[in-house]
Amino acid sequence: MSQKVSLLLDSQLDADDVAPVLHELGVDDALRDRFTIYGLVGDTLRGVNVPDDGFSKRIFARLHREGVKVEDGFDPLA
Amino acid sequence: MRPVDARLYAAVMMQADSELVRLAQSGNQLAFEALVVKYQRRIARHVARYVPIASDVEDVVQEVFLRAYRGLHSFRGDSAFYTWLYRIATNAALSFLRRSPREEQLDDAEEERSNLFEPGVSDGETPERTLMASQIADAVRQGLARMQPELVDALTLFEVEGKSYSDIAQMFDVPVGTVRSRIFRAREVLAKRLEPVLAPQRDRRW
Repeated sequence: MSQKVSLLLDSQLDADDVAPVLHELGVDDALRDRFTIYGLVGDTLRGVNVPDDGFSKRIFARLHREGVKVEDGFDPLA
Repeated sequence: MRPVDARLYAAVMMQADSELVRLAQSGNQLAFEALVVKYQRRIARHVARYVPIASDVEDVVQEVFLRAYRGLHSFRGDSAFYTWLYRIATNAALSFLRRSPREEQLDDAEEERSNLFEPGVSDGETPERTLMASQIADAVRQGLARMQPELVDALTLFEVEGKSYSDIAQMFDVPVGTVRSRIFRAREVLAKRLEPVLAPQRDRRW
């Protein structure tokens, strides 16, 4: 499954496999950790080696707390 | 660690993320979370070029992803998802700067730096984060130095040079499956080296 996570990160996973792998990411902490670390490896090679001190979690918490929804007609570039 | 060729990388990324974006657009929260985890560091680095204070950078980046989420349906795939995010980030950072007078920003940045008692920290990073970033870079560098050359080549050609899996397969005259395997194995080697460095932050990650 870790190899599928590696492929997901690179957008190399077959489209039909993406949802099942996401499901596994949702229930498997170690797998989610792998996704995060693989991403950090790539960013480090590109010179962006910033550790995640909970940054992502705070974004998700805010999305949840504020009840943010996908809105038809909202253009974030406007 | 070398800068990526932006044009090559953009070419690879153009096709990227389409399924994750499609799922996120259809309401799959995990798909959007995966996109956030994938891109938050690069977006934060981009925003930090405009916004000098770390806490403000985080506020702006949160705003970027909130706006992106609200506007997911407006993303049509005409550009790479990352390009779209990057443009949202630029707008958000410039909007932030317009709301906050430059003099006030600089005063606050100076105050934040003096509170750290660390004159070497100049980009809004805390000493703890700067130290960990250095440890991460060292672990990756040491891991690469001890890795089989074909694994190093596959990973760096993909991540740094922006080559596609099929480009790399052609370069080394191997099946694409071998490239998949090499990139995965390279990441695993480096992940094992990074695990102890990152252990203190395990509970804070996604």
